[in-house]
Amino acid sequence: MDVFIQTLVSGILIGGIYALVGLGMTLIMGVMRIINLAHGQLMMVAMYITFVLYEFLHIDPYFSLLVSMPALFLVGVLIQKYLLNPLLRIESIIPQNQILMTVGVAMVLTEVMRFIFHSDYKSVKTPYSSAVLYISSIAFNFPMLIAFGIAMILTAGLFFFLLKTDTGKSVRATAQNKDAALLLGVNAEWITQLTYGLGAALAAAAGTLLLPIYYLYPDVGGQFTLKAFVITVLGGLGSTVGAIMGGLVLGVAESLGATYISMALKDAVGMVIFVLVLVFMPGGLKTLTKV
Amino acid sequence: MKRTAIIPVALLFSLGMFISPVLAQEAVRVGVILPVTGEKAKFGEIEKKSFEMALEEINAAGGINGKKLEFLFEDDTGRPDVARSAAEKLITKDKVVMLGGGYGSSETFAVANVAQESGMPFLVATGSDNKITAQKWEYIFRINPPVSDYPKGLESFLTEVVKPQTAAILYENTNFGSSGQKEFQQTCDRLGIKVVMSEGYQSGGMDFKPLLVNVKKANPDLMYLISYVMDASLLMKQSMELRLTPKIFVGGGAGYTLPEFQKNAGKASDAVFSATLWYQTLPYPGAKEYFDKFGKKFGIETEYHGAEGYASAYVIADALKRAKSMKQDDVREALAATDMMTVFGPVKFIAYDKMTNQNKLPTYVVQWLDGKLELVWPKEVASKPYFYPVDWEKVWK
Repeated sequence: MDVFIQTLVSGILIGGIYALVGLGMTLIMGVMRIINLAHGQLMMVAMYITFVLYEFLHIDPYFSLLVSMPALFLVGVLIQKYLLNPLLRIESIIPQNQILMTVGVAMVLTEVMRFIFHSDYKSVKTPYSSAVLYISSIAFNFPMLIAFGIAMILTAGLFFFLLKTDTGKSVRATAQNKDAALLLGVNAEWITQLTYGLGAALAAAAGTLLLPIYYLYPDVGGQFTLKAFVITVLGGLGSTVGAIMGGLVLGVAESLGATYISMALKDAVGMVIFVLVLVFMPGGLKTLTKV
Repeated sequence: MKRTAIIPVALLFSLGMFISPVLAQEAVRVGVILPVTGEKAKFGEIEKKSFEMALEEINAAGGINGKKLEFLFEDDTGRPDVARSAAEKLITKDKVVMLGGGYGSSETFAVANVAQESGMPFLVATGSDNKITAQKWEYIFRINPPVSDYPKGLESFLTEVVKPQTAAILYENTNFGSSGQKEFQQTCDRLGIKVVMSEGYQSGGMDFKPLLVNVKKANPDLMYLISYVMDASLLMKQSMELRLTPKIFVGGGAGYTLPEFQKNAGKASDAVFSATLWYQTLPYPGAKEYFDKFGKKFGIETEYHGAEGYASAYVIADALKRAKSMKQDDVREALAATDMMTVFGPVKFIAYDKMTNQNKLPTYVVQWLDGKLELVWPKEVASKPYFYPVDWEKVWK
């Protein structure tokens, strides 16, 4: 029983961070109808920001959320404004040329970071990196708990923004019907920039929260892009509630798979769930919620 | 007017065509394939720097019989398909006289395949999966002991000091990992150690706890881990979190001997043992000098992978000096006749255990003590006495 609970706890904690990664991507997907294949790489950039702040200015990784999120928001806005939006105006054979652009952005980000920091593995070692909370014999990794908590707060904040503020409503309106939103006076161009910025900022949060637990090298982004993509599809494209569920489901499935089937098949278990959801629930997990 | 302009240009071109092959012949070109980007870049970089360092020294000492030696580095990015095309490019386009390098086993195997097909001598520096030299491929030589030899030095340490009853093996599910797992399983069978758990995992994971809780349940005396450096740090950190306390933790080389392992795992790295192939205090001529020079030159520490790179550069130079000509078969013959001392130990290519053209070397046991890697076994060459038995609660405090 202990083994089962420990596995579940690990899965849910990881799932919370996955949800944060997925949320950013699903937001971008909902508004712009594109898959942001630079998502993990944006996370990686945020991780480097956190690393630099910690290494040279000794700023606690959790405080550097206040730097990494705005910084990545800005990067996101600039990418959308100068790299993605101009592509909208060009007639091209495939309408998804923006997706190709995100692949390019991802590569450039990776190589720039490699140029600056080399391929060395980096990690931040805070005094609490390995701190553990024991409840009976179940170990709760402390940074993991904090990351989960902050992820939940950020998610709640995002929902408040989307549901209660005017700008948030404009974002949702643009996601639902861009032309209609334009007709009703929503500045769609600004909304796309804002959304990409927000998505990037959420990715940044996930990256910064992960750093005390995980490690960092220029190629670390790829695996998170893949995870984010799986979560987004799992949750139902463009659905925020779906992304949260998708993240948690993926986290728990991977953990259970690792314990009871084989850790070597961890990713395979996630993919099997992915395929099953697509087959039996083509709309993703959001079909369960009707949101 | 136009015509007159064309003539000198055309002349220049034709001249260039005559000159360039002459120039190219002046240097002896050897292709070196290593991962310098991607996840394995860390090791690749240490090896590449060692190759470059050796190259400078070789050329300063007269090169290959007066000709300059040149290494053409290709990045395999840690992917077999890339490694394969890099080898093809070096052989067909750059017309190198032989190949060197080879870090990851899967990539090295791919390169070896191409090299054998085109009759190109290939001196493997690191790629340690047994099968690389177990194909009866006469053009493939390996300076590194095969992964199956990694725990040889450990064996005597276990039988004489630790005497474990049970063991758990965790390994990354790659060529390197599963090959090492198979061999350690056999070692355990031979020594009468019961393997209570043997599980692969996927490299790059964030959370190894699901795996580790299973180990904790099995409660082995010995935990044997085969992983690259960052997985190694996370595995140890999370073992510490879960208070997983076997009598000893042993890393099967690779990640567990790198300075990064200690840097990232912190106190979780303390008292961890590892099998290793080389240590700078070993009584091989030049070993300590190489270690110091590398540290001074690049500001980072080198380890056995670097020594392999450095030694292979010298083996390559030695073989090319002795070769009758730069033809592939002459180079192959010279390489086969190698019998020299390097910083990595004596190098001689022999056939044993189904392998051919394989260098045979003893292996050692090292342990992290107070943040430093110390050679602890065999006793005769130890730089510090081993720390055992370990009270984990005290170490992890």
